[in-house]
Amino acid sequence: MTDLLQLTFSGLTTGAAYALVALAFAIVFRGTRAINFAQGEYVMVAGVSAGALHAWLDPPLAVVVAVVLVVGALCGVLTELVCVRFVRRDDPHTVTLATIGLGVAIKAVALILTDRRAYTLPGFSGDTTLHLGGAAVDAQALWNCLLVVLAAGGLAVFLRAVPLGVALRASADDAEMAAASGFSRRAAAAWSFGIAGALAAAAGAGLAAVSPVNYDFGTLLGLKGFAAAMLGGLGSMPGAVVGGFAIGLLEAWFSGYVSSAYADIVAFAVLLVVLFSRPTGIFAAVRVERV
Amino acid sequence: MLLVAALALGACGSDDEGGGGSGSGSSSESASKEPIKVGSLFSVTGPPAVVGEKMRKGLELAIDEINAAGGVAGRKLELVFYDPAADTNKAIDQTRRLISRDKVDVVVGGGSQSGIALAMQPLLARAGILFMATEGAREIVQPIEERRTTFKATFNDTVILQRLAEYLSEQGVGSIGFLPDTSGFGESAKAELEKVAPEAGLKLSTQSFDPTATDLTPQLTKLRRTKPGAYVAWTTTPAGTTFLKNARRLGIDGPVGLGFGSADPAFYEQAGAAGKGALLAAGKLPVYDLLPDDDPVKEVVTKFVDAYQDRYDEPANVFAAQAYDGMKLVAKAIEATGGDTSADALAKALESPDPYLGVNGEFKYTAEDHSGLGTSDVAISEWDGKRFVPADGGGASR
Repeated sequence: MTDLLQLTFSGLTTGAAYALVALAFAIVFRGTRAINFAQGEYVMVAGVSAGALHAWLDPPLAVVVAVVLVVGALCGVLTELVCVRFVRRDDPHTVTLATIGLGVAIKAVALILTDRRAYTLPGFSGDTTLHLGGAAVDAQALWNCLLVVLAAGGLAVFLRAVPLGVALRASADDAEMAAASGFSRRAAAAWSFGIAGALAAAAGAGLAAVSPVNYDFGTLLGLKGFAAAMLGGLGSMPGAVVGGFAIGLLEAWFSGYVSSAYADIVAFAVLLVVLFSRPTGIFAAVRVERV
Repeated sequence: MLLVAALALGACGSDDEGGGGSGSGSSSESASKEPIKVGSLFSVTGPPAVVGEKMRKGLELAIDEINAAGGVAGRKLELVFYDPAADTNKAIDQTRRLISRDKVDVVVGGGSQSGIALAMQPLLARAGILFMATEGAREIVQPIEERRTTFKATFNDTVILQRLAEYLSEQGVGSIGFLPDTSGFGESAKAELEKVAPEAGLKLSTQSFDPTATDLTPQLTKLRRTKPGAYVAWTTTPAGTTFLKNARRLGIDGPVGLGFGSADPAFYEQAGAAGKGALLAAGKLPVYDLLPDDDPVKEVVTKFVDAYQDRYDEPANVFAAQAYDGMKLVAKAIEATGGDTSADALAKALESPDPYLGVNGEFKYTAEDHSGLGTSDVAISEWDGKRFVPADGGGASR
């Protein structure tokens, strides 16, 4: 029982990161119909920059997080610039392919700049261990879950109540119509990528406080986040959160009770099952047409 | 990243008139004026760049020291260097070039990656050129029947694991919870420890993890059910740090430790309080200045570390030492053959019963063992919060 609880908390910790990445996939997909495979590398860039900034200037944590969110958003905007504007074909397949290339390039640059060094952040509330029902939990795990709640809640409010968010939603629904009323497709793409970058950055900062990160850890994380997004239903916000935590939990339980060497297949097995049986995911995006 | 840096370093102050052009084959016994050509591949760009750069510097230091002392068997050493940038295909081309165009006499350094060294090995063996690898994998020198003229100047993980198992059982530990990563580095250690642990009277339970994992709690939780006396993780990635943090958080209070893939203070520093008291099983370099004065290796390491620091204004590490040792070993063998650089003659000289005291330990090559280092060259160290200190003889648990 204690073990189950321990594994569950472990699953929530990693699941929180998957959920944030899945949210980022969702927002880009809604805004551009493309899948941004550079997503995992943003998490890496954010985690590494957070750790490097901490090691270099040691500013207060809030400053680190704020800087990193900006860095993440810039990564997103840069992706839009490279993959949408320079490629000059905004059909989603081309953009998707371009993001794969950009992801590889980001990783290579990070490798050169960091010399393979790993970076880490202190826990948001110090190195605190909480004892819950016999399980020892890193307080940071709760912070990371809180980040997901804040991000998902913030996005929900943004997309419904803030004019810019409403415009984004309108553009996702009918890009031509939105463009006709003054919100261009490119603006929608830039904002979507920027927001996705910031979401990934939140995941990066949260993870760097759990475990040291280096240039190499974003790729697999991005793919697992993609599996989570597919499980929840690509483009669905609640689906992304549920999918992220589900993958995290399944992975932790699988490592604890079945085999830790093969834990990585969990996310991809789920991805395959989803693709074969229910390609729209759990929360198949229900289109409500409002006039 | 893709550029190939090819530089041929003329030795300082040597007369280079016979250097290029028509080399006279790999075993030129008479031309005493001609330099001995040392071919070398290190990945000074690409993913292993940090390792490769240190290796090249270590090698150049050794060559310059040897040349300053008058060379080997009356001849200077001349380096022919290529950078394969972690690309095995490129390394194979460069190796062919070393053999047929540059006509090198010996090769020291196998591209800074075990995979590259393994690819270079058959080419050099066929060409009758002695190959001193500075990479880690056991397979570079095994099976020995096919590796008669291939040597390496690095530890086999077998030896490190043997010493670690011995140490833990001396400390009264009865069982190990072992966490190797799923890379070749971890897999090899897993297979070896399965043989070595029972010999030391240790029970073993193993849980693997992905090298990029950010949480090893599931693995530790599962291992904890078998109540191991000590926990050891085997990886080259920051997951080693995560292991230390996770183990501490779960309240594990027996010995915890990492292998020689984690012999960098940064891994322990980043674990914070959880790193204190954690063990490291590696060579003696991290603790060389704290070794007892009667340890013969202390003087060798001190000289090397000072010379390296003087020349490059940065601290030496184990990778620099591997290349340095490799070059010195080959030079000693050439001296012993009186300048004969044929692979068979050099192999025989290297297998001499007279050991060579290098930075990483005492090399005792035999006809059966071409990795040379033994368990007495391994140090079990402990992180005291600021640096590594020798742990042998108590204080393992915290």
